[in-house]
Amino acid sequence: MSNKKEREKRREQRLQEETKVDAGERRTRLLQFGAGAVFLAIVAVVILIVVNGNKDSGGDAQNLEGVATIDKLVGGIPQDEMILGDPKAKVELVEYGDLQCPVCKAYSEDFLPQIIEGLVREGKARLSFRNFAFLGEQSAPAGAAALAAGAQGRGWQYLELFYRNQGIENSGYADDEFLTAVAEGAGVKDIAKWNEDRKSAKFTDEVTATTAEAQRLGLTGTPSFALQGPDGLELLGTPGSPEEVEDALERAAAG
Amino acid sequence: MKFPTEARLRQIIAFVAALGVGVATYITIADSGGGAPACLAGGGGCETVANSSYSHIAGVNIAIFGIIGYVILLGTAFFANDLARFVGFATALGGFGFSVYLTYLELFTIEAICQWCVASAVLMTLLFLLNAARLIGYAGTDTTTVALPEKT
Repeated sequence: MSNKKEREKRREQRLQEETKVDAGERRTRLLQFGAGAVFLAIVAVVILIVVNGNKDSGGDAQNLEGVATIDKLVGGIPQDEMILGDPKAKVELVEYGDLQCPVCKAYSEDFLPQIIEGLVREGKARLSFRNFAFLGEQSAPAGAAALAAGAQGRGWQYLELFYRNQGIENSGYADDEFLTAVAEGAGVKDIAKWNEDRKSAKFTDEVTATTAEAQRLGLTGTPSFALQGPDGLELLGTPGSPEEVEDALERAAAG
Repeated sequence: MKFPTEARLRQIIAFVAALGVGVATYITIADSGGGAPACLAGGGGCETVANSSYSHIAGVNIAIFGIIGYVILLGTAFFANDLARFVGFATALGGFGFSVYLTYLELFTIEAICQWCVASAVLMTLLFLLNAARLIGYAGTDTTTVALPEKT
């Protein structure tokens, strides 16, 4: 009887010890796994940061993209300074934009093409760009560069090409080299004249004037749109869809 | 080193993870709807960050990954076993590493700071520390094994 009890006691003790050893081993293994995971995480973050450093983030003067696309989009449509489309069209859609603004880039790529290929190409509406240059130091010089391209009939190619190659806001990418590369890509014929024009008071003052105008109108962000009709300027804000703008343009043209 | 009891750690983890679910959900909703985005001067950090090419991976808003991570972390707080401890630690570690990367992007690449992203990064850092403490302090103490008397 006592032998049996003794055996049971010893058995229980052995089990306890085995369980303790098991738990200890599992703990060691888990902590080793944990340490391994920490090591892997550090490696992964370092790789991500290094790879990201080489990622194409736009603003690359050596490697402009979209020249063919923008030629197809606005080529063959009459241009006068920053106005795209038939001068006799009844209504004008005005965009207040900042070339550094990523949302303007998104609108230029996903929103405006429908309007340009539709109402503008059909001669029912004009599209004009006014600088609301407020995001950073390079916003105004970029805007003036677009105006100077407009003086040679390539303003919209300039805008569109700039947006398609836009870099990270205020990262300093929009320097002279970048602006010049965009001018060349946009097909500005006389680069020397463009270079002189973009620094001239005529265009830098115009950027200041349209920016002041946007502020006077109470615009708070870019892109902001407005209709220039026979009855004056009607503010549209930042519409959510091209259809909204098309409806407004058709209404204004009919009225 | 003395750790708080595991039950207390789990309570705090659950609380912080629930906050994280809230923050990540807010960022997701704010990004998906809320009218047309626009570029605003100054204080527009969140717009800049949300509009940058880094805010989506394969078309999916990264805040969605955040929600998934926080929900997993919340889930692990309800179990007191080694699996939950390790999954919690690994998830928090992944989330923390990702937050470090995103904060780096905000500071040096996008050059804009979004306070909601910072809030999420802070919560994820807390969760990483809490889950690390939980793993170091309580790994190998599953209830099935600690049911035996401590004294020998």
